[in-house]
Amino acid sequence: MAATAAEARFRIEYPFLPRDSRIVAVDGGAMGVVRRASQLRWDGSARFLLYDAATAKGNGETTDATLRDCTDGETTLLSRELDGADVAVMVAGSDGGEAAAIIGRACADRRIMTAGVVLAPAGVHTNDAVVALRPYAMVLIVSSAEDDLIDLLTALRV
Amino acid sequence: MLKPEINELLTETGPGTAMGELFRQYWMPALLADELPTNDCPPVRVKLLSERLLAFRDSNGRYGLIDEFCAHRGVSLWFGRNEEGGLRCAYHGWKYDTTGQCIDVPSEPEGSRFPQKVRLKSYPLVQVGDVLWTHMGDPKLRPELPVWEFARVPAEHTYTSKRWQECNWLQALEGGIDSSHVSWLHSGGLKDDPLFKGARGNTYNLTDRKPFFEVADADGGLFIGARRNAEEGHYYWRITPWVMPNFTMIPPRGDHPVHGHFWVPIDDENCWTYSFDYHPTRPLTDAELQAMREGYGVHNQYVPGTFRPLQNKDNDYLMDREAQRRGETYSGVWGIAMQDASLQESMGPIVDRSKERLVSTDSGIIQARIRLRKAAEALRDDGVIPPGVAPEHQRVRSASVVLPVERGFIEASREALSVTPGTKHASV
Repeated sequence: MAATAAEARFRIEYPFLPRDSRIVAVDGGAMGVVRRASQLRWDGSARFLLYDAATAKGNGETTDATLRDCTDGETTLLSRELDGADVAVMVAGSDGGEAAAIIGRACADRRIMTAGVVLAPAGVHTNDAVVALRPYAMVLIVSSAEDDLIDLLTALRV
Repeated sequence: MLKPEINELLTETGPGTAMGELFRQYWMPALLADELPTNDCPPVRVKLLSERLLAFRDSNGRYGLIDEFCAHRGVSLWFGRNEEGGLRCAYHGWKYDTTGQCIDVPSEPEGSRFPQKVRLKSYPLVQVGDVLWTHMGDPKLRPELPVWEFARVPAEHTYTSKRWQECNWLQALEGGIDSSHVSWLHSGGLKDDPLFKGARGNTYNLTDRKPFFEVADADGGLFIGARRNAEEGHYYWRITPWVMPNFTMIPPRGDHPVHGHFWVPIDDENCWTYSFDYHPTRPLTDAELQAMREGYGVHNQYVPGTFRPLQNKDNDYLMDREAQRRGETYSGVWGIAMQDASLQESMGPIVDRSKERLVSTDSGIIQARIRLRKAAEALRDDGVIPPGVAPEHQRVRSASVVLPVERGFIEASREALSVTPGTKHASV
């Protein structure tokens, strides 16, 4: 039997373990929106970060990346941030290829879910960002509305 | 997750509600044309957007959709007599035409002007394709008649059914947007259903059960692309258009007819699921029509004489645990339509979305909710006509295509995603 309306109203409350989320601006075009999102109140343990640069071994092989924390500006490492993370949301404006590749590969190695959000005003060319994120984002959203990012993160309970 | 007040906003469609007003901007399916097969046939009770209405076809073939209840003492006109150009109440003989205008009150003197002062609420009822459509909003804002391709192709190319679904319209719609369940819930149907099986695309569906998703804005709503691995260097894309507020098309398979749905609120705890199949370039075959009438594909079997599915919540959808164990059906419920409906109804009449735990692959659903909320608020606060009303927003198709990995699904499929009359749909 399907649940009745009365039963549905009294559904058991499950213990809620917040998702460990990393929201990363992967290019300059996305830094503003990620900064603004970081200033809102979130129930989970989300961290809002800005991609800085790849770090490489002496032979040029990329091994990690530096990120900056939106709230205090402190520099941190991608590898450190991904420890224990459940999902990485990569936010792009118009590019973001280098960062998406590094973050995407690091998440794949660690079995971390990836999502990509390309945000640009209507009429602005987004194809480069879409192409950059597509191989690395299991879910990719293209939108012209900045508040879509907030709504998405709210829906996902980051 | 939705806040409770947003869940209420999206799920309540009665008169005066924000979402109800949104629905009243559109032409909506009200009933199937063959429910009123002949002039002066019996009237049909129709509940839409929580309003109790009565549809009838008068002696001259005119369709009417009027308040179900007589203005005199409030009895149901369903008991009335449909004869001589109007519907006469069985209680005291008051008679109404298809516009709801009272045209006779037998107790009044002959020639009395009193009947002219009595008029029931009425809405237009117009046949386009297999469906009778109504517009329940402001007549001054009435849009052009619908131009959905399934309703505009020749009659022998198209077939539409409807079924009563015992849950809120939104959780039914969300099932239509959620491509990620197909490889699981419908895996049996991809192998056996005569309206699905045999397509090359099914192999990709069954071998890659972790699709990647892309969600892109469309003028009328969204395009949701589900991407699976195909041959080396290629992706198999299944592209679902959602047009606001309640229309989706399922990406096609091989040369099978293409199908889709409307989910029309009856009230806040029930909806009509309209399910259509059509082929843009050829008549449906006898075998296809027979399969549709027998409940295959997106259609279903019925409790005789009703639109209630034969498999329903009172009989646990005729759950077959042995078929489930043998792998013939993933959930144990027969038929693609009822596999969806059984799970959507199991959530309860209106699911409490403040308690759900969405994941990234639910992004299509999340984006659709965002757009519905914004459109309902923009209409309520600023009178903005929502997406999906304009005819050009309705000229969409679903598509299934194999593309090189570097091609985006929107730019590579732009032509395939819009209607070009006389051309075949893009399908793998």
